[in-house]
Amino acid sequence: MAQQSSNQTTGHVWDDDLKEYTNPLPRWWLWGFYLTIIFSVVYWLMYPAWPLGSSYTKGVPGVNSVKYVATTKDGQQVEKTTHWSTRAQLMADTNAAEGKQKEWFDKVAATSYDDIAKNPDLMQFVNAAGKTLFSDNCAACHQVGGAGHEAGNPQTNQSGFFAPNLADDYWQWGGTYEEISTTITGGRTGFMPAKGLAGSLTDEQITNVANYVLSLSGEPHNADAAKLGDEIFHNPGEGGCITCHGADGKGVPSMGGLNLTDKIWQWVDVSGQADEAGKVGVLHTAITGGFNHVEAMPKWGTRLKPEQIKLLTVYVHDTLGGGQ
Amino acid sequence: MATTNVVTGGQYNYDIVRKFTIMTLVWGVVGMLVGVYIASELAYPFLNLDLPYITFGRLRPVHTGAVIFGFGGSALFATSYYIVQRTCQTRLFAGGLASFTFWGWQLIIVLAALGHVLGLSQGREYAEMAWPVDILIAVVWVSYAVVYIGTVMKRKEPHIYVANWFYLAFILATALLHIFNNLAVPFSATGSYSLFSGAQDAMTQWWYGHNAVGFFLTAAFLGMMYYFVPKQAGRPIYSYRLSIIHFWALIFLYMWAGTHHLHWTAIPDWTSTLAATFSIMLLLPSWGGMINGIMTLSGAWDKLRTDPIIRFMIVSLSFYGMSTFEGPMMSLKDVNALSHYTDWTVGHVHSGALGWVAMISFGALYHLIPRLWNTKIFSEKLINVHFWLATIGILLYIVPMWISGIMQGLMWRAFDDFGNLQYGFIETVIEMHPYYVFRALGGTVFLLGMVVMCYNMAVTIRSGNTRAVA
Repeated sequence: MAQQSSNQTTGHVWDDDLKEYTNPLPRWWLWGFYLTIIFSVVYWLMYPAWPLGSSYTKGVPGVNSVKYVATTKDGQQVEKTTHWSTRAQLMADTNAAEGKQKEWFDKVAATSYDDIAKNPDLMQFVNAAGKTLFSDNCAACHQVGGAGHEAGNPQTNQSGFFAPNLADDYWQWGGTYEEISTTITGGRTGFMPAKGLAGSLTDEQITNVANYVLSLSGEPHNADAAKLGDEIFHNPGEGGCITCHGADGKGVPSMGGLNLTDKIWQWVDVSGQADEAGKVGVLHTAITGGFNHVEAMPKWGTRLKPEQIKLLTVYVHDTLGGGQ
Repeated sequence: MATTNVVTGGQYNYDIVRKFTIMTLVWGVVGMLVGVYIASELAYPFLNLDLPYITFGRLRPVHTGAVIFGFGGSALFATSYYIVQRTCQTRLFAGGLASFTFWGWQLIIVLAALGHVLGLSQGREYAEMAWPVDILIAVVWVSYAVVYIGTVMKRKEPHIYVANWFYLAFILATALLHIFNNLAVPFSATGSYSLFSGAQDAMTQWWYGHNAVGFFLTAAFLGMMYYFVPKQAGRPIYSYRLSIIHFWALIFLYMWAGTHHLHWTAIPDWTSTLAATFSIMLLLPSWGGMINGIMTLSGAWDKLRTDPIIRFMIVSLSFYGMSTFEGPMMSLKDVNALSHYTDWTVGHVHSGALGWVAMISFGALYHLIPRLWNTKIFSEKLINVHFWLATIGILLYIVPMWISGIMQGLMWRAFDDFGNLQYGFIETVIEMHPYYVFRALGGTVFLLGMVVMCYNMAVTIRSGNTRAVA
């Protein structure tokens, strides 16, 4: 920064002592400025830059152009070359990534679920792709690793937000490959009618059913009431609970009825209650109000490709939890 | 030599300068405290306490509003009213109107913050305020312009000092930006629809947003620099010619650059190219201010050892130079592809906001306050403590943000050998956690320095008086 430094000021003085030297522009500053202008001109020659009426300059033809493969409306793959554009750049990047993935997704699509699970190479791909697909699409509700989110205490979780645990052996909607695939593709909406299937249960009947439900998993309950509840539970004209929860209370996966015998309380906070009265109370509230689950699991069939869903199915079945 | 009129302090309106000076300190503490809290929320989300009013989304505009418009704005009002009077050798024009700008401006900051906490937002960054507040801002700002220009017009000096050019550009540009960006059709007492739509709306917003940085946080603080640096150093400005050239280059080029905030989005590619190149061409004009500042200080290097105020100024100029280099680099398409939406941007903003804007303001205030209250600084030692707390705080803030931001950008774009995205979004969030903790820590240290300054200045002000003296 060897600048000639003058002691010459402009002659103006402000506020007693503010003055200005008459030093010239530093050379390096000026040349730096010119360089940025030259850089900009080069940049304009490489990218779309200046508007021209309803069009714009597209850069020097052949310089910085982008090649990509597009799929036409009738499914034809066509190769295109264009001047630099954000969209073409995205297409080219997508082409490159999808090109690598395609070989593996094709194998996934062509192989049966069981054979995929037995093939270590394919499973390496399933785990790599599945981890990201799962964490970007499913983990928002089912949490990282598929641990799920219990409805828990209705006082602290007023929306009743609930997502089944996918890392355990219990499958609300069935744990076979086909059932999991159906769940992902079409989504699921949990629902339990208020006051029994016909909506006709009285307060006392509901208390009895609640006691019966507690008896199924050995929770503290009133045996007499449970006996009355047993009949209501199984009578299609009264409670009709068997329709979804099954005659043995173990749940009917095709209906999404929960297993009531396994001590896993996902929707109703029974385990969080200290005594019998509390446990009966939360179940009573649940049966009286029913569940109209607005936060349904969405359909992924319209958002993910079939081979992605197939891969996720294997990932959920074999990598996350013990599928059936 | 121009004649130096003997003007006594009594001839200047210092009352308005004192008011704005005190509010600069107050909003500094408030704004930085909110900043530390939301930084902590990002590291430890339970701090939301399940209260909608204090979630990050609502407190963030409270933070930016309090630090930019409260702290920065009050500092600019204070220094501009001080400088324009002293360099024009005349009392402030329209004292009543100046008083209105004070009360109006404070009301705006409070109303804006209340609105944000209650969830009222236009969804425009740094312009979140609802339309009635926008109208109040426009009225106050036009009053400011009248007071300022009126004072310049009745000056007793033949020439307009360079600091005033920058303040004038800032006042005019801010009026223009604010009014056009907030053109909207109200549908209720607090809600409105923007007059623009889609890409044009986004480009209007970032024309405003970037020039808020350019004229509010750069040009205006350069004005501050051009007065307080030569004053404190006791040396003439290095180059009059450089100040003219870099002023006009800065003013001309800044207006084109805003669209670089919208790279890789649904805007025409040519707008993004132009924005990138005008940002690159801004580099040297921005540096013109740094060169003029540093070269003015050169020759007074010995004062670095003895004068903590000079230390604030030299560090602020260094951070100014660094962030005005970083900015143009980030506006290149390929660099931006990595940096956009990451913490790198947040780090960049804070190296400018804390390193440049806040540090030059601290230097200016330490120069100003003893002169406004006719007294001496209570403790030079505490200025030094503040200096080190601020410097360490900034480094603790921006270094983790650089690392976190570049890591975030690299993780988002990483593909594995199969062509899969290598990381889910949530994995990037988990990796960011330790850096968020450090960022909150850095902010806390910087805030601590601000509190030390307030104590030091409170004692200083109490020892002084506001009697007009020669």
